[in-house]
Amino acid sequence: MGDNKVLGPNLQTAVQDNIAAMKQRLGDSDDLIVRELQSRAGGVRKGMALLFIDGLTEEKAIQQFIIEPLLQAGTDTAGSADNNEDPAKLLDYLNQSVLTAGQVTKVDKLENAADALINGNVILFVEGCAAALQMSMISWEHRAVNEPANQSVIRGPKEAFTENIRVNTALIRRIIKNPSVILKNQQIGKVTKTNVSVMYVKGIADETALQEVNKRLSLIDTDAILESGYIEEYIQDETVTLYPTVQNTERPDVVAAALLEGRIAILIEGTPHALIVPALFVQFLQSAEDYYQRADISSLLRILRYFGLFIAALVPALYIAITTFHQEMLPTQLLISLAAQREGVPFPAFIEALIMEATYEILREAGIRMPRAVGQAVSIVGTLVIGQAAVEAGIISASMIIVVSITAISNYVIPEFDMSIAVRITRFLFMGLAAAFGMYGIFIGMLALLLHLCSLRSFGVPYMAPVGPLTIQDQKDVLVRAPHPLMTRRPSMFSKLNPIRQRKAVRKSGQ
Amino acid sequence: MLTALLLLLLTLPITGCWDRREMNELGIALGMGIDRVDDKYVVTVQVVKPGQVAEQKGATGAESPVVMYKSEGPTIYEAIRKMTTASPRKIYAAHLRVLLFGEALARQGIGNALDLLSRDYELRTDFYLLIARGATAQEALNVLTPLEKTPPNKLFRSIETSEKAWAPVVSISLDDFVNDIVSKGKNPIISGIRIVNPDEVGASTKNLNTIRPKVMLENDGIAVFRKDRLIGWMSEEESKGYNYITNNVHSTVGHISCPGGGKLALEVVDAHSKIGGKMVSGRPYLSVDVTVEQSVGEVECRIDLTKISTIQELEKRAENSLTRIIRHAIDAGQKKFKSDYFGFGNAIHRGHPKMWKQLQKDWDERFEDALVDVNVQIKIIRTGTITNSFMEEEE
Repeated sequence: MGDNKVLGPNLQTAVQDNIAAMKQRLGDSDDLIVRELQSRAGGVRKGMALLFIDGLTEEKAIQQFIIEPLLQAGTDTAGSADNNEDPAKLLDYLNQSVLTAGQVTKVDKLENAADALINGNVILFVEGCAAALQMSMISWEHRAVNEPANQSVIRGPKEAFTENIRVNTALIRRIIKNPSVILKNQQIGKVTKTNVSVMYVKGIADETALQEVNKRLSLIDTDAILESGYIEEYIQDETVTLYPTVQNTERPDVVAAALLEGRIAILIEGTPHALIVPALFVQFLQSAEDYYQRADISSLLRILRYFGLFIAALVPALYIAITTFHQEMLPTQLLISLAAQREGVPFPAFIEALIMEATYEILREAGIRMPRAVGQAVSIVGTLVIGQAAVEAGIISASMIIVVSITAISNYVIPEFDMSIAVRITRFLFMGLAAAFGMYGIFIGMLALLLHLCSLRSFGVPYMAPVGPLTIQDQKDVLVRAPHPLMTRRPSMFSKLNPIRQRKAVRKSGQ
Repeated sequence: MLTALLLLLLTLPITGCWDRREMNELGIALGMGIDRVDDKYVVTVQVVKPGQVAEQKGATGAESPVVMYKSEGPTIYEAIRKMTTASPRKIYAAHLRVLLFGEALARQGIGNALDLLSRDYELRTDFYLLIARGATAQEALNVLTPLEKTPPNKLFRSIETSEKAWAPVVSISLDDFVNDIVSKGKNPIISGIRIVNPDEVGASTKNLNTIRPKVMLENDGIAVFRKDRLIGWMSEEESKGYNYITNNVHSTVGHISCPGGGKLALEVVDAHSKIGGKMVSGRPYLSVDVTVEQSVGEVECRIDLTKISTIQELEKRAENSLTRIIRHAIDAGQKKFKSDYFGFGNAIHRGHPKMWKQLQKDWDERFEDALVDVNVQIKIIRTGTITNSFMEEEE
């Protein structure tokens, strides 16, 4: 862990000097624990010191695997006589013959030692040695593996990532048990030194995309990476767009599936969200469950999701356009009943829609931020405000409530949160266009949106692939999800190296 | 980039919204009536009161569901615009369901009156034209109707329903009428409505508060036109024949007399007809081929329906009866009205376009002495859920 390129003062030979230097480096932080002891390990009694940060290390293990062996050594003096002369050899001797800790490495720079300390290692200084041993005793508190909070499924694994990157990589490795899964780690963030891992499957992932990912990651020059969102914004292709070109997920199975398609995962320490690139528009409408349920059900649900997307983005706009510009499009009875609801409503339809949509967005934002305890109060007030009262007071027409509700609900059939936010914002743009130009505006807007989406790229892959550009082979996993035996090829836009997933399934009848 | 974006955004407030209308700013006109008094058009428009029609809490039938505006003007367009002096909302006619003409105006000619209605972009062309038989359009619109809350909707729906179930009724939309009027081989027709018991009370909700409303509107007869002028009314049987000839019978019920006396009703399940025409030695020779599938609907005589010979006999009788009806209808066209409203001219036009060129100038006169060949084929396919009448079984 950590690179050894850091320049700086070397460690001294005197233990006390080293302790003083270390304390100074950490600014006399109070969670720095110094345990001084005398050990006969190596034959002669020598002063030693253990340094570690309270809370990042496991004290029991330190006691069992470091302190105990050190204090009990000395009874066996065989071959230890010459260790006194060469301090460097003494450290090797301790490492090889005395300490029972797992990961032990030697450091000789103060800065490296300090880094190691901060990462949860124990540093051992030995009198007379201008170097130290660092022993991994990392054990900080972290959340257990839980069910995914946001991307839940009915059928399928119920594990989600945690904030611990090692746990996360292990979750993925447990799904794809193959040495070809490559993990490359680096630290990003000059101050936070956040561990960021790139994972891919060698032989499936596209090399140029991989190089692009590494290049973009290496170009990040910032103080702090606190969450995957930081990385996403640094590496995404286009900043000025509503639509996400990097996918994030909290599900190891989604990452595993992506890796097997030839995509690349980026895991970030300290967040349960992993990034996946390249990400395409259609993938934001796919749920992990699509692949676990029967193909026919999944296909229907997927079509339903596209329908939901359409409703969420366009229905308020269509309502505004039709009721204020194109009343002739409505059946007569419907027009009369809508007009009856609007009797006495003081606002134009657009303002009415804007008020209700804004109210809903406020309620929703409040619902996420508010303390759990007041949740009920907010929802009651919300129901009354958004529902009954506004209609009964004659400020809002009942049909508008229906429109806003169906829109709000439809928004949640989009499985990826990033996409549903994008659709929400798009809806307001369309509402504005509809209010000014009616259907004409909506269609101009749709054309513009389509052009915009087609112009986007995600790590070199056209965002609207495989629809535009059209790849017939890949349609098996767009609007419908073909049964697994039929999906013989990986998506062609990700894996150019190794397109064959399986040979055509042959099943003899009667077996 | 930013400037371009700003300019683009400016187009929204600057160029947009100019023809925006909120739904509650619309006077949704469902029915329109046109009459003529002296040299002025009298236009009556029936505007729906949405709150009364789409019934919400508390809105009981105390208030009339529609309001009628009337104005006069030298042209219809002026008259309609003038209505804003009385109506708080601009008349919105895209949802017009029926357009009524007073009989008096129809006899003078309605072609000019229809120009606005087919020229204006706001109107759709799928509303029905009707003639108020023996009344002005205004009087006919002045009747409140039960079940359907707005009178125009009532007229619209009852034309649609009865066209499907009762042979003598036909629906004519603006498009149909205009097509007929511009084609030389067919004169137009329009369905008529009649006010039953014309009375002032028809305009008030009192009319609806009785089980049997005193004043009602009824489909009644078909008005025959020569060009755009009304020249007469077909009787019910002539109307029936007309619809059989023009392939406009979907389902209806007719009766024949049984061999041993008594009556038997037949329901038409399916009817198709084809008309044609050619010239035979300088004389138009027209043909009507009708094939009808019927089922026995009601038996009021002693007859054994289990025998095939009985069915064949009934088929023959039905054929004769229908042939008579059709001949009668054509006779009326040739002799009574001297007008080809069946579209025989168009049939010749389609079949023999060259011949039609010579005929079209004086087609109405040539039609009068045309020979007509009527060929009816009837098949009785079902006898209902019982075969013989239970009165028969009893004996």
